[in-house]
Amino acid sequence: MSKETVRCTKCILSSAFPRIQFDEKGVCNFCRNEIYFTTENQSIANAREQITNLLNEHQGKGQYDAVMCYSGGKDSTYTLMLATRQYNLKVLALTVDNGFLSPVAFENINQTVDALGVDLITIRPSSKFFSPLIKASALHDIYNPKTLTRISSVCNSCISIINIAALKLALEKKIPFILAGFTLGQIPANSIFYKNNYTFFQESREPILNKLRNLVGNEVDDYFCISDDLIESTESYPYNINLLCLDDPSEDEILAEIKKLGWISPKDVDGCSSNCRLNAFNNFVHTQKMGFNPYELELSHLIRRDKLSREDALRKIAAQAEIMSLKPILEQLGISQQEIEQL
Amino acid sequence: MSENIQNKLLGFITRSFMVEREEIDLDKSMIDEGIIDSFGLIEIATFLENEFHIKITEEKMIRANFGSVHKIVSFVKREQTQ
Ligand SMILES: [Zn+2]
Repeated sequence: MSKETVRCTKCILSSAFPRIQFDEKGVCNFCRNEIYFTTENQSIANAREQITNLLNEHQGKGQYDAVMCYSGGKDSTYTLMLATRQYNLKVLALTVDNGFLSPVAFENINQTVDALGVDLITIRPSSKFFSPLIKASALHDIYNPKTLTRISSVCNSCISIINIAALKLALEKKIPFILAGFTLGQIPANSIFYKNNYTFFQESREPILNKLRNLVGNEVDDYFCISDDLIESTESYPYNINLLCLDDPSEDEILAEIKKLGWISPKDVDGCSSNCRLNAFNNFVHTQKMGFNPYELELSHLIRRDKLSREDALRKIAAQAEIMSLKPILEQLGISQQEIEQL
Repeated sequence: MSENIQNKLLGFITRSFMVEREEIDLDKSMIDEGIIDSFGLIEIATFLENEFHIKITEEKMIRANFGSVHKIVSFVKREQTQ
């Protein structure tokens, strides 16, 4: 994005963000709306009470209490620590290795599961499937525009695979909870915990899956769907819980805590990621295509909650990758520079 | 009563998903129309639970109940009278 990007004077949402309107002081409608959002704290309080009840009811019944989608990034590392130490949950950590995790992320993952005494399963999808999936997600219109206001298309494909892998594991092993390291801003306060109706969820994703099947092949179903047999034999679905939203720590607080576990900050990722080398590519493609950075919404939310200064947020997204620096990743994915520039 | 439910629901949808009232076709699926994604459905369900004091289990999160604004309003009415 150019230097002349017009942004809200309170948060960092830019003029390209869908449905944005600025008032005479340059404050966006998202910030103005927020004034009436007294419900967020209420939602957190509600979620806290209900999650406490749910944990009391289901904890300690089987081998594991929860599957944790564990990427090795700062937020999921902190969440894994909360889950084991504060909530005393027996956690099975699940890492999906997309082939682009920073080597430091793996050291962090091993260090953390050892420090916390957690079992770990790692799944690495074949690059024969994964590279075409990334390419399709980057170059084609796959997802609902609403989804793309908060996450890049490639990130969303990756997270979908992780969510389904975690659900599969939870159903197979009859584990009552799925944990993830999302923060407020990444997800709405109304989604701190939830149960999904898998059948309806899949039904509403069918148009998306069809696009992916056409572009990538029918292997999409192996990674994006749960088998009918497993669904039919399922009596109860797990709850998805984002413990980090209840705690709501600042980035500095998170970093200070996880450093005690031996976690170190990778240097080969961009300012918005703490584990994945694809992120710079994803942000570049998203900004090129949509005109705004996929982290604007999340960082703006943190600013409104006084968890991040506007200056720090701008710094995080300012370090936008140059297309030349993405060359190795483009080569690995089989994408030409021209294909990206034409977006 | 259903007018009241509908107004509250539309208030929530327009505020949370940044859409104008006129853009919402009350008989069409908001997912199909691109107003919300599948996450939005969870947000709406939680809003209904808190606002109307009903319990929405995952078995009830189906297209027949959540397939449009009108369907959601009838669903809430049915749940309240139970
Ligand atoms: Zn703003």
